[in-house]
Amino acid sequence: MNSKGTHAIYLAIILGLAVLGLVADRFVLYMGMRVMLLAIFAMGYNLLLGRTGLLSFGHGALYATGAYGMALVNLHLTPDPLLGILAGVALATACSLIVGFFCVRHTEIYFAMLTLAFGMMIFSLIWNLRELTGGDDGLVGISRGSVLGLPIAKDGQFYFLVLFFFALTLWLIHRLRGSAFGLILAGIRENNQRTSFAGIPVKSYRLAAFVISGVFAGLAGSLGAMLESNTDPFSAHWSHSAEPILVSLIGGLQTFSGPLVGSVIFVVLREIIQRFTQNWMLWFGVILLAIIMGMRGGVMGGLEKRLKRGPAPAGKGEGS
Amino acid sequence: MSSPLLRVENLNKAFGKVVTARDLNFTVEAGVLTSIIGPNGAGKSTLINVLSGLLPADSGHVYFQGEEITHLPTHRRVRLGLCRSFQVVNVFPHLTVFENVEIPVLAQMRKAAHLFRPVAREKAVGQRVMEVLERTNLAGQANGTASALSHGDQRLLEVGIALAAKPSLLFLDEPTAGMNPVERVDILRHIRRLSASGETTFVIVEHDMDIVFSLSDRVMVLNRGDIICDGGPDHVKGDRQVRECYLGEEVVA
Repeated sequence: MNSKGTHAIYLAIILGLAVLGLVADRFVLYMGMRVMLLAIFAMGYNLLLGRTGLLSFGHGALYATGAYGMALVNLHLTPDPLLGILAGVALATACSLIVGFFCVRHTEIYFAMLTLAFGMMIFSLIWNLRELTGGDDGLVGISRGSVLGLPIAKDGQFYFLVLFFFALTLWLIHRLRGSAFGLILAGIRENNQRTSFAGIPVKSYRLAAFVISGVFAGLAGSLGAMLESNTDPFSAHWSHSAEPILVSLIGGLQTFSGPLVGSVIFVVLREIIQRFTQNWMLWFGVILLAIIMGMRGGVMGGLEKRLKRGPAPAGKGEGS
Repeated sequence: MSSPLLRVENLNKAFGKVVTARDLNFTVEAGVLTSIIGPNGAGKSTLINVLSGLLPADSGHVYFQGEEITHLPTHRRVRLGLCRSFQVVNVFPHLTVFENVEIPVLAQMRKAAHLFRPVAREKAVGQRVMEVLERTNLAGQANGTASALSHGDQRLLEVGIALAAKPSLLFLDEPTAGMNPVERVDILRHIRRLSASGETTFVIVEHDMDIVFSLSDRVMVLNRGDIICDGGPDHVKGDRQVRECYLGEEVVA
């Protein structure tokens, strides 16, 4: 697909979502926001997993630092939502710098286990610092306030703030993937040693990818706290880190749109299955199995391959 | 007097009791195509690994263009102009041939950290990549995936990636390993041409004696961590010790 066509599709998606925000009922709005938040989380995450080839189990904790950073500022300092989000993202960035500094020295299973360890530490801090974090209750009573004079208290209004950050994320990730930096990250995934022998300080680039994905995790977390008007300590649990992994896998690790498509499938499927059965995880697992085993490269990866086999064989290796 | 391109002083490296470099002292002069030969286990690859920064030296010093590089990480050595290729194919398999060369070019032109600027818009980078691909005869396959290249072409790409960093000193670790005779002649022609153009000084580790003696200005023979002979091809060919070591006899000092 050429880049103009791709741009048009994404513009249409944003416009479609904007129209949805004007006409949809509260439930659909809520689902739309959940999808967009998960997509922000997963698209940032996939820069680390799909692009750089690093599997982290610590991003749930980074999501939570975003949520708690936002909530603390909101409850104690100012109800301004943008300052709250800024604080959440800043806290998540600081945490990912510290965690990343230690983790990027290692790769593969050692990297994964280190991120898991740090994630568990953050989770237990949130769980035990009751005075500060509310312990197992989380922080409650987050108000949304208004942005530039526009109220965002209602879901129908808040929706557009989420949509704005979702569009911003799409644009930023798209630029990052197409930049020199994005190519270097692919090089690190493909052949870490060779990248270093190409004159690249590999650890610094790994750290950069880690922090960038942490920034988006923090953004998703702070918006999530505003959406639910409370924070959930279990969002810091390492099992929450599985969400962006699954979503990226379902949609396609090596594609730009994969985490986005995966987020839609994940949120919608979960909602539908939950209506029919308490054991939604069982049935979700079965469907996941089918997608992962049946479509290597995920939904979008599989679709791309099928398109390429069509009349016009595309040139470039990494597509939309 | 200008300083030599590379100066090695009292370099030592051992793996347990196996000594792969024993008090090595030598220099490499710019423009002299040097080959390092020796029987299996002589320490040739280890020497390259230590000089290129893949392995740390036990003791001793390495100077590159007068600057000490003994403890520098690899990417810093590459930036100074010391690069290498590998014995086994070591490319970016799922990236295109163009992208394979683009990575070192971006690093060399200090453009690797551009976060948001589309890489396709880096015109100077693109030109330099095509230059390297033309020099290595791979321009026609620029948009193909690296893993789809023939083995010989992958070895060429390997050299191309190393050259793209604009090194003044380039180590080639068995550049003809696993190649068929046609590919072998081809790559040697390329190396000779690139060496003659004068930008890069080549140091080659090789098994094939025909190649070594036809190509090199200087031959260093390594055996069990010692340099047992060093000089022009004719001098080395006539050396008794070298013959004995290649005939498999023990060399008793």
